[in-house]
Amino acid sequence: MAMKFGYTLSALVGCVLVSSAFANDDVIKQSGNARQWAMQAGNMQNHRYSGLKQITKDNVKNLRVAWTFSTGVLRGHEGGPLVIGDMLYIHSPFPNKVFAIGLEDQQIKWKYEPKQDPSVIPVMCCDTVNRGLAYAEGKIFLQQADTTLVALDAKTGKELWKVKNGDPKKGETNTNAPHIFKNKVITGISGGEFGVRGFVAAYDINTGKQVWKAFSTGPDNEMLMDPEKTMAWTDGKMAPVGKDSSLKTWQGDQWKIGGGTTWGWYSYDPKLNLMYYGSGNPSTWNPVQRPGDNKWSMTIWARDVDSGQTKWVYQMTPHDEWDFDGVNEMILADGVNVKGKPRNVLVHFDRNGFGYTLDRATGELLVAEKYDPKVNWATNVDMKTGRPQVVKQYSTRAQGQDVNTKGICPAALGTKDQQPAAFNPANKLFYVPTNHVCMDYEPFKVEYTAGQPYVGATLSMYPAPGSHGGMGNFIVWDAGTGKIVQSKPEKFSVWSGALVTAGGVACYGTLEGYVKCVDANDISKELYKFKTPSGIIGNLNTWEYKGKQYIGVLSGIGGWAGIGMAAGLEKDTDGLGAVGGYRELNKYTQLGGVLTVFALP
Amino acid sequence: MKKTAWLAGAALALATLGGGANAADDPPYKVADGNKVDKATLEGWRTWRALACERCHGAKQEGLVGPSLLESLRRLSKDEFKETLMKGRPEKGMPNFDASKMVTENLDGLYAYLKGRSDGAIQPGRLEELK
Repeated sequence: MAMKFGYTLSALVGCVLVSSAFANDDVIKQSGNARQWAMQAGNMQNHRYSGLKQITKDNVKNLRVAWTFSTGVLRGHEGGPLVIGDMLYIHSPFPNKVFAIGLEDQQIKWKYEPKQDPSVIPVMCCDTVNRGLAYAEGKIFLQQADTTLVALDAKTGKELWKVKNGDPKKGETNTNAPHIFKNKVITGISGGEFGVRGFVAAYDINTGKQVWKAFSTGPDNEMLMDPEKTMAWTDGKMAPVGKDSSLKTWQGDQWKIGGGTTWGWYSYDPKLNLMYYGSGNPSTWNPVQRPGDNKWSMTIWARDVDSGQTKWVYQMTPHDEWDFDGVNEMILADGVNVKGKPRNVLVHFDRNGFGYTLDRATGELLVAEKYDPKVNWATNVDMKTGRPQVVKQYSTRAQGQDVNTKGICPAALGTKDQQPAAFNPANKLFYVPTNHVCMDYEPFKVEYTAGQPYVGATLSMYPAPGSHGGMGNFIVWDAGTGKIVQSKPEKFSVWSGALVTAGGVACYGTLEGYVKCVDANDISKELYKFKTPSGIIGNLNTWEYKGKQYIGVLSGIGGWAGIGMAAGLEKDTDGLGAVGGYRELNKYTQLGGVLTVFALP
Repeated sequence: MKKTAWLAGAALALATLGGGANAADDPPYKVADGNKVDKATLEGWRTWRALACERCHGAKQEGLVGPSLLESLRRLSKDEFKETLMKGRPEKGMPNFDASKMVTENLDGLYAYLKGRSDGAIQPGRLEELK
């Protein structure tokens, strides 16, 4: 009712501020209710934490399947279900179906299937994942593969508006979930392997009208960057970025096809009115072809949600030589103890293998440490310059074009990819699904053609040598000290978003297809395990309906982990263990998307 | 390695034995030691690599999300191969490469390379030019 009043009022006075205050309040209210799961990450801070405690570490062993639902789609199923009121909303990979399911009887209340030109599929090579829906003010938002952003009536599935966010003919596609901050739908773009110039864009939730658009590379005004006011970590303190901070770090016009795409999980701090996200790898993967720091690819961004203006930036991997795409989620945590002081921080587990802790108001670099001891491409991050100290032996630039640089850890898919971590406010610790994979990397020269792959490197990946032989770990991380608290080995990469609850359990999925729940205080204690119909690259979400707590997850193998990853493993000379290991994935799982929902008996 | 060399030898022998036989029986590539190929085939491999074909078809053309080209090249005629490259099979995820200059200019070489892989005459991985 209050919501409806908000609409009317804003419509009457035509005041953006009024409408935005209400929109913001609605999403905060919905996501603040632990009985629901109203945002992909559970809340705007990307916590993936639930206050529900019916399922506890003592009774989780009794979990059973309550109901299941097939999406009818093969290929990789990322993201997870949203639950608002008595409805559950679930999406699929291309063709990006949306189902609204009544929790009372599990009936499909409505479904939506957009018409998309199949020519978008090859541009998403090699998988057509979608990371899920967003909800606000009675609307469901879908970011389609072909870049169309759609608002649907959450009750009926009726299209309210749609807008084109990019051009697949130029290699632009979308895989990210849309994010609702204030009265805006914020979305990004994929296509780092097609020479796409990355950006984020904000659209009005009521009309779909674009409010602002900000690129990752190029002239200051196109990045919404103020040379005097936008700050960056410089010689141990924050200082203005200065004029042409991006242009100066590229050769010629290369920034126009320079990547820095934005397909991760964004977060928002309502008090600071700042949104946070990461930009991805510079294009091409051949570093020899693009000298310079390639700013602002591989960067953590803080932007004002209303204007899109950049408050601060931090580039993690200047001049990327390994495809350490910087898009992973930014988790906002309060009261994390850094050197004896409680700080309100941003925590980010980068593909490059370093876990970063920054002051999220100022952008100051506080902690940067390896969250997998096998990381070897850099010795450390110099805390004064903020730059990784690259080891020459593993520098694909130093080794050169047409040279196979061997034994780099982590592999291109990173110590962690998009699979989001969880934050437990009770113990201030992070639960991180990780990869434990290394690679050989051979860059070669490529020419850019719009809409064609622009990769320029051949890779082979294999389990981290001299370790437990598996390709993943589920770890607990202290972001204040930058230390691994606990590490639980996994046979395959853990490519599923984690969940931690007030009931004291942490849950995640595996590529073989297991849902696993462990004791949040001692993750070596595996308390529950169930084999879902396919490998899991989706995220675990939880909600309550009629007094019962449910946990739901999409299974459906695919994505880079399930398909693309195996590509590099088929080698004649070495990595035999890996070949064996990944071939073995076929023994456990086949394609197919299913939502599995668990509850206590 | 040895097996490949033997196959290559067999293919060459066959070609030689063929002598005056139908030119269609001649392999479209020249190969020695499994990894030294004629210029056109080398460019075909470079095209395969530059267009990142391995992302769908696998590093050794064995098939991933896309089909095994080791098998496809036993079935497809050269014309069918070219048509697939130019028009794609978008609903299955195969792009149309008619906009790629590198592909259009090296179609014969790409066919030769993949045929050589399918025949077992050319090794997977890096190739060099046959002098």
